[in-house]
Amino acid sequence: MNILETQNLTHIFPDDTIGIHDINLRFQAGEFTILSGTNGSGKTVLVKHFNGLLTPSGGRVLFEGKPITANLKYTRSSIGLVFQDSNNQIVGQTVAEDVAFGPENLGLSPTEVKRRVQKALTAVDLSHLANQRPYVLSGGQKRKLAIAGVLAMEPKIIIFDEPFTGLDYPGVRQVLQQILELHHNNHTIILITHELEKVLGHAHRIIVMDRGKVVMDGSPGKVIAGIENYGLKKPHGNVETMTWLQ
Amino acid sequence: MAAINIFHYLPGNSVIHRIDTRIKLVCMIMLSITTSLMGRVWDYLFLTIILLLFFWLSGMPVPRLLKELKYFHLLILMIIGIQAFSLPPAPGAFIPIPGFTLAGLKSGLLLGWRLVVIVIICLLFTGTTQISSLRRAVEWFLHFIPGLPAARIGTMFSLTFVIIPLIFDRAAEISDAQKARCVSGRKNPWQRISFMVFPLLRRTFEQADEMAMAMESRCYSEVYRKTAMKTSGYDWMALGFTALVCGFLFLL
Repeated sequence: MNILETQNLTHIFPDDTIGIHDINLRFQAGEFTILSGTNGSGKTVLVKHFNGLLTPSGGRVLFEGKPITANLKYTRSSIGLVFQDSNNQIVGQTVAEDVAFGPENLGLSPTEVKRRVQKALTAVDLSHLANQRPYVLSGGQKRKLAIAGVLAMEPKIIIFDEPFTGLDYPGVRQVLQQILELHHNNHTIILITHELEKVLGHAHRIIVMDRGKVVMDGSPGKVIAGIENYGLKKPHGNVETMTWLQ
Repeated sequence: MAAINIFHYLPGNSVIHRIDTRIKLVCMIMLSITTSLMGRVWDYLFLTIILLLFFWLSGMPVPRLLKELKYFHLLILMIIGIQAFSLPPAPGAFIPIPGFTLAGLKSGLLLGWRLVVIVIICLLFTGTTQISSLRRAVEWFLHFIPGLPAARIGTMFSLTFVIIPLIFDRAAEISDAQKARCVSGRKNPWQRISFMVFPLLRRTFEQADEMAMAMESRCYSEVYRKTAMKTSGYDWMALGFTALVCGFLFLL
């Protein structure tokens, strides 16, 4: 069964610019998918639709076979979105308080909120910083905090929007390690990036977007040969070795 | 990162940290009103001692906070200076400096002291209260008023504390970027201000927009939820003690 599906999804901005056009995609549970494309190709607009943050101009998004609008709260707790700029996602004055934001919004009991906060912080190895102020954390730690904030909602799918942007080599490795652990723990991963050499070796599937449309979709081995036609740099070497974890 | 740490929550588990936020909010309002109505040196001295005792109980780092109050020191000195020169002299009094009066100086010192006391009250409140807890308390008080968007006001209230350091960060970044492009070469101060203000406003609004979306994706809703906020006997004791202090100052 498809965990997530789009049917003829279209988004047109108020100034008539086409964000995405007639997108038909299906995601299986447990898949690790990379969504790639040049700037302005519609990747972020598409994933914002997965989370119900934008209203489609046409078409619809289905989660577990039902339109996401049928139960938006359930959708948002099941599909976590880690934003590109972690600073914009931080709303708490301490690390623990920020992680608790989502579970509190779900109306969970204080005991359950506390349990989820501890679990999420342990998962991203930030427990020792629970009482620290978020703005003093490093870039990699902030990204981990953003992941913890999403993990505390206990989602089935986690979407990462350009998770490696602005991170140094150790930061990228930390975040990548985290993403792989989440995938091994049965989370479905959708990762937006054009830095394919950092992560492609771990993906089952790559979707390439160009000017609001899906232009390539398939296994990395098949897709990689043609990506240069769409403004993406083809990494050197075998697909299996394209990772910064080696 | 902007080094603005003042009026921020400082994690801890002191007796002050543990007071129910609703009670703490009422205590802060009571103490602030009392401060603005007081007028004698002994009143200020008494209240300052009580507040310092609260500070000691809260376990907050007083020297560090005093250091971060440096801009307030300047403001207080200005208030004292202006006040010292603004009162008319008593008839026949000897005035060594033109415009200066002892009564004005005394009045300025009291005004400055009042400001210090109010800042201490705010520091005690913000330093020991989590934003989420403050939001819930504000929501709780406002939800009794029909038609008022309690959840929205509570969130706006709490986000203000979150977004201020970000604005300082952005301002510093924009200022550095403009200095690097020799903005100091421009003589028109209004033009220089506009180069600073407009990008800052644009980026702040963009960030606020993105933040709103991130909150929405984590199931934020403006529907008021009855959250578990319980008061204990200890909270009522804190309220009683504050009422006693305020009452004592009024009666004296």
